[in-house]
Amino acid sequence: MACGSTALWAGETTWFCCGSSWGPCGSAGTGACGTCQSNAHQAAWPNTSAACFSITRPDLCGETIVQRACGSVMNVKHQCSGASVCVTVSDCGPRTQSFCGEATCCNGSCRTNRVIDLTPAAFSAIGNLSSGKLPVYIYE
Amino acid sequence: MIPVVSDLAPLVCAVLLAVTGAGKLFGRRTAQVAADTVLVRVLGDARRAALALRTIGGVEVALAAALLAAPTAVVPGAATAALGLGFTGYLGYARATAPESSCGCSAKQEGPIGLLSFSRAGLVVLGGAAAATADTSWWSRIADRPAVSTVFLVAATVVVGALTADLDRLWLLPLRRARIRLFGNPLPASAGPAGQVPVAASVELLERSLAWQAASPVVRSALLDSWDDEGWRVLRFAGVYEDMRGAHPVSVLFALDRTATIDTTENPAVRVSLIDDETEELVPADVLAPVPSRTALPLAT
Amino acid sequence: MRQNHENTGRPLDRRRFLTTAALGGATIVGASALGGLDADAAFAEPMPSLDPAITKSAFAEGRITRIKGSVLEVAGSYGDQHLIQLTNVTSIWKLRPTTADAVKVGDGLYARGVDMPDGTIAADAVWVNIVNLYVTIRGIAKDRLHFTHGSHETVGHVVPDTTTASYLGGALTPDLSRVRIGQAAQILGAWRPADDAIDIARVTVGH
Repeated sequence: MACGSTALWAGETTWFCCGSSWGPCGSAGTGACGTCQSNAHQAAWPNTSAACFSITRPDLCGETIVQRACGSVMNVKHQCSGASVCVTVSDCGPRTQSFCGEATCCNGSCRTNRVIDLTPAAFSAIGNLSSGKLPVYIYE
Repeated sequence: MIPVVSDLAPLVCAVLLAVTGAGKLFGRRTAQVAADTVLVRVLGDARRAALALRTIGGVEVALAAALLAAPTAVVPGAATAALGLGFTGYLGYARATAPESSCGCSAKQEGPIGLLSFSRAGLVVLGGAAAATADTSWWSRIADRPAVSTVFLVAATVVVGALTADLDRLWLLPLRRARIRLFGNPLPASAGPAGQVPVAASVELLERSLAWQAASPVVRSALLDSWDDEGWRVLRFAGVYEDMRGAHPVSVLFALDRTATIDTTENPAVRVSLIDDETEELVPADVLAPVPSRTALPLAT
Repeated sequence: MRQNHENTGRPLDRRRFLTTAALGGATIVGASALGGLDADAAFAEPMPSLDPAITKSAFAEGRITRIKGSVLEVAGSYGDQHLIQLTNVTSIWKLRPTTADAVKVGDGLYARGVDMPDGTIAADAVWVNIVNLYVTIRGIAKDRLHFTHGSHETVGHVVPDTTTASYLGGALTPDLSRVRIGQAAQILGAWRPADDAIDIARVTVGH
């Protein structure tokens, strides 16, 4: 799998649903890239375009997140367990600005701000969905 | 009734019905909205619910046209009041049988049936009743008494606007905020005995600890079970460890201080043990991953 | 509480046995002089290769159409079909850790497990009806929250002894009283297929 190993970013990840799905996820749609589906290893990135950035506004939390277009491939690694998953950017998110300063730590080493959102398939590969959020390193 | 009210009621009702009716009749999302209403249960399937919603929309538009064109006739006003009564009955039924379903009232905003929905339906009944008693057409009334008419129309617009779900964020949220400021937040400040740490908080602490890091190559499941014993909170997970004889299912048990959370400690002491599910024997800890003390730290230069 | 699912004597004996074993022979990890890993320096290092145990895991998503013994027949949202085998070591989450009895036909699920040769997935973990929504709080009552998720209005029920809150990354607490109207929040909960509402497991709010 073409999955990188160069450090790109670090922060918190949460999970979200998209594409055809059940329950409240049924109305989620296929995301900003039009390709998002919950059962694929995909992610939402807060800066897929200028329009996306204006919604997520990570800069308000001091995160000058680089732009990565739809289709970019990233390797997301759980900071505590070291488990990792390879994902394709398929949507715009999360809303970093709504949770500025929120930190998730591993044994005292903390990651701050929500900088990536994973589909249930990707999130469950490195953690438990019932945990809601995880501290991660992101490589490309 | 007061002449200005009854004479202008047809106009107000017509505009309201035209907007909500057109929304239902032509709205691209009507089918989606219909799927959330109690009509689905009554009519059996979502397609028929959508058709019913569109039909009602058609009736509303027709009534709006009749109210505008023949304001002094009794029939359109009476029909409007009847429609309003019908809405109220429908809402009452839906509220009783499926309280969280959407009303499909404006075919735009979805939301559970609440006081707003009933107020809107009530307004249609009153408006219809007033319209039925109109004896002068609305256009001659406006020409006769422009000032009073304008005041009434503005007031009516405010009332209708206030009852429209789409506009409620302008006034409803500040009102709710004020209520909470006055009467306090109704949500529980703490559930159960004071100092009790929720299991989810213990799991959160565990999943961010060195112990979790050490056990993660073995753990396969999410939390299976948890219980408190002598000041400890025991969290049980399922796992698999492999040795020369193959893969063995194990219970992975973590015991931690049941009062600890990520707020009280960054680095909790966690007791980790693996118990072989078949032999019920303790598995030596060397199947755990090396904790960071054994990870080579990059050397400072 | 339902979480302590079995009230017969045997499972409690089992717990007692496990507790004794757990506390007796445990390896203590943490709160020691081990010293922390310089995590950020480790981040800058090249990634080690993927853990093969993780890449082996299978994932399934969909609505449960039939329950046959311990096998869940699941219709995926993309027309795919899955057979999910539950075992006594499968963790099942439905608002809280629970047992297979709580799983019903019509429920949605996400499952993680291992592909078996017979085409089924032996589940390690199953999350039933779990949702994690980004919402705006629109109303607060004693036993529920009203919120909008996109353009969709939803009711989230507060479940005694279960619903927790986290404020700006703080520990999960049963104290819900600091949730405010107008606030953005993440709601982790269990969707209720019967009325499309949500039972809230946790509310996470930011600033």
